[in-house]
Amino acid sequence: MNSLLIAPFYLNGCGSVINEPETRNKIPGNRAIWVGIFAEMTEFAMFFIVYFIAKAHYPEQFSQGPLHLNTLAGTLNTIALITSSYFVAKALFAIRQGNKNQSIKWLWAAVSAGVLYLMIKIWEYYWNSSHGIHSDTNSFYTMYYYMTFNHLLHVGWASGSLLWAIKQLKSGYYTQENHVGLTAIASYWHMVDLAWIIIFPLLYVLR
Amino acid sequence: MFNLNRLDISWIILMLITLANAFIAETADPHIFITAVICFSIAYKGRRVMDHFMELNYANKTIALLMRSYFYIFPLLIFLTDMFSEQLAELTSLT
Repeated sequence: MNSLLIAPFYLNGCGSVINEPETRNKIPGNRAIWVGIFAEMTEFAMFFIVYFIAKAHYPEQFSQGPLHLNTLAGTLNTIALITSSYFVAKALFAIRQGNKNQSIKWLWAAVSAGVLYLMIKIWEYYWNSSHGIHSDTNSFYTMYYYMTFNHLLHVGWASGSLLWAIKQLKSGYYTQENHVGLTAIASYWHMVDLAWIIIFPLLYVLR
Repeated sequence: MFNLNRLDISWIILMLITLANAFIAETADPHIFITAVICFSIAYKGRRVMDHFMELNYANKTIALLMRSYFYIFPLLIFLTDMFSEQLAELTSLT
């Protein structure tokens, strides 16, 4: 009987949790964070539409542009972001199991991945500059800087929100029973990752 | 002995797709088939993150539908704008 009660609450992590996960048939986190997430997704949608139109008007620039970018930096950024999302998901699962310290460790790992992303981006911008790539070089690079810098800002403040979650966990405000705030922060962090999943191929892969 | 759960498997799959994308970026010439493969990989990666990291496969249906739609619509738009770039340029010209 007990296993029947626990089994439905198994989500994406390992093992099972006793309490019903807060994302099950509900809005993950809270309504406010989803207003923010949809607003951000709309903002990125606008960028993508501008990219499509600019690419249609300047096909040569958009065909040659990715060849001169640092693909290694773009790939490492993608790895850092996806890995950080994975760490955040692990942190959420740890708090569901009542393992506060483990949750804090995963969140620190996610913050580290976020910082790594920011460092790689700064290195990439220096690399671009030393190779004569600037925001006014042509339309492709204008789009590149517009999208990547905007995304970088999102990673910056989302990393700040992860630090806030760590503080709340340490203070005991987020517990096994009540961690809706952490779920909201996790959802926002995953959104930042999702935006990059589209940006990376648009700027570095597709010609 | 490794005991992988769905989160771990999702992370490994996402890493492999990312590396494949990077390989394509470095080696493949532009082709509509390549564009189709990349668009599919965007849709798949997005779905994987939404379902297994964000847990939208269990969450509120409206939120899940809206988020999933985003990752159907934009890969499709990427493909269509590549296919019909001249028409798009004509459509969005001011003169």
